[in-house]
Amino acid sequence: MAPPAHDQGPDLPGSGSPEGRLAVETRGLVKCFGRRTAIDQVDLRVPRGCAFGFLGPNGAGKTTMIRMLLGLTRATSGSMSVLGRPVPAQRAEALERVGAIVEEPRFHPHLSGRENMQIIAAVRGPEADARIDPALRRVGLGDRAHEKVRKYSLGMRQRLGVARCLLADPLLLILDEPTNGLDPGGIQEFREMIRVMVEQEGRTVFLSSHLLDEVEKTCDAAAIVDRGKVITQGPIAEISRGGDGVRDELLVGVDDVELALQTLAGSELVREAQASEDGIRLVLAGAPETAAAVNAALVHAGIGVLRLEPVRHSLEQRFLEITARLDEAPGDGSSSAAQEEVRT
Amino acid sequence: MTAIALRMTGADFLKIRKKRGTLIWALVLALAPIIVFLTVKAIQHSSDPHKYGPAGGTTGFSDGLRVLALFFDPLAVILIGVEAGTGDASAGVFRDLVVTGRSRLALFASRVPAALALSWLITIGGFALLTAGIFVLAGNLPTPDGALILNGLGFAMLAAGVVCVVAVGFASLTTSKPASITALIGWQLVASPLLAQISSLGNYRDGLLSQAIAHFSPVHVGGGGHGATVTMSQGTALLVMVAWLAIFLALGAWRTNRMDA
Repeated sequence: MAPPAHDQGPDLPGSGSPEGRLAVETRGLVKCFGRRTAIDQVDLRVPRGCAFGFLGPNGAGKTTMIRMLLGLTRATSGSMSVLGRPVPAQRAEALERVGAIVEEPRFHPHLSGRENMQIIAAVRGPEADARIDPALRRVGLGDRAHEKVRKYSLGMRQRLGVARCLLADPLLLILDEPTNGLDPGGIQEFREMIRVMVEQEGRTVFLSSHLLDEVEKTCDAAAIVDRGKVITQGPIAEISRGGDGVRDELLVGVDDVELALQTLAGSELVREAQASEDGIRLVLAGAPETAAAVNAALVHAGIGVLRLEPVRHSLEQRFLEITARLDEAPGDGSSSAAQEEVRT
Repeated sequence: MTAIALRMTGADFLKIRKKRGTLIWALVLALAPIIVFLTVKAIQHSSDPHKYGPAGGTTGFSDGLRVLALFFDPLAVILIGVEAGTGDASAGVFRDLVVTGRSRLALFASRVPAALALSWLITIGGFALLTAGIFVLAGNLPTPDGALILNGLGFAMLAAGVVCVVAVGFASLTTSKPASITALIGWQLVASPLLAQISSLGNYRDGLLSQAIAHFSPVHVGGGGHGATVTMSQGTALLVMVAWLAIFLALGAWRTNRMDA
């Protein structure tokens, strides 16, 4: 993953240091609630200028992690930094340019959308006042800002929550399940807004979700978290491929499957091949361009090639593989072994 | 007060001022008893002028000030103080305020002047109504001079301010609006007067806030020194008030600082 280049300006706190190049970094982070470990030795590195998905099933520890980053709850042990500032030691400076929605966005229901924005702007500082109207317009609430929030739908509240984040002119947005309550059109608009924030404005978006599709379509990189542990993290494409980066697969439709398997069995072009419902599914031994040579070999052997298409690895498939392995691994020790196996 | 503190206080004032239910009840509690008091006395006077004097004048002022400052206005400002202390937590917005990076103590501190400002506005409204009433309905009775009126206003604001700040602190401690209102009004209306009447408690009764406040009344409001039920020195009364303020402000600040947002 290569975060898009952008001018972050001289006001980035700590951008010169190695930690400053990361929007979020945690080392050995642990959070225990009594005897239950909710976050277990998490090392997380979120680069600046990208949309980063924090993906995991419900109860995996996503919200707990976010709450620690924002100083809403204390870590049991470990260290963390936000925008290059250690948290909680320099929490105020770290959060100055952070906008966040934790769980569902909440507001004073007896106040209008604009008044709720004024409340947060008052706490943020005078420069936030000028951002109220642009932020409301940006999320499509410019015409409804005078209405009391108790009349807002859940989707409107989500959008108002994003507008509230924008009051900080955030370098980092932390959004916890942000598309909850949005209709399909709203979800699409939201994704586009995230991409604009990342690609055109150079902001970092840390997006926690249990929706694989949402993360895959919105984010450049992700971390998969389960049972309080980060199982894998990195660019979405690498996670989907399994992390080794060379697992290029092809689906080949042929008129003689048996003969095609025999032909490919001795070929140096193919690492493995097996029959599937759609023809033959094979893993290339070399670069994706090797597919042309495979086609030539099959044609040369007199086999009719009906189709040849790369297998698209989905994050969902990968996620299910990982969590299935964890489910199969008995006990904590084996679980750790499974995590090591899939760690990229 | 810094510019940011002023802005935060303004935001807290907006939150409470716009809470229509709380504001209406506070106004009713501060104004309605004065209207009822003056109306009843005026009717009594008009029905039997020999037995009942005019509703206004210095006597009406003393009685009205007691009704306002020691009985009903404290109930009004309790509602406002509790709203200020619990509003963010009960709406779930406290978390969003904390993630701005602003210190929790600053978030707590801004509630106090906001609640005080609204409480005093209501107190001044009630006092203005009382003052107008005692002049209009004075009849042939002497009316209070400017000094007494100013002392009366100061006393009403002192009583409202102390009770309001205690309410902000207590509500910030409990973070529950129903619990805070029930406890504070129960204390103000039932427990505190009851304890003040139990003479066997002796000097322990000096610790009652309402008794300490009553010692600063410019008019006679009870049987003890300076008009209170319990006798204590002005210095002791001042210490008791400061202690109540310090304890509940500290508890409210501590809870706001420590609570899981």
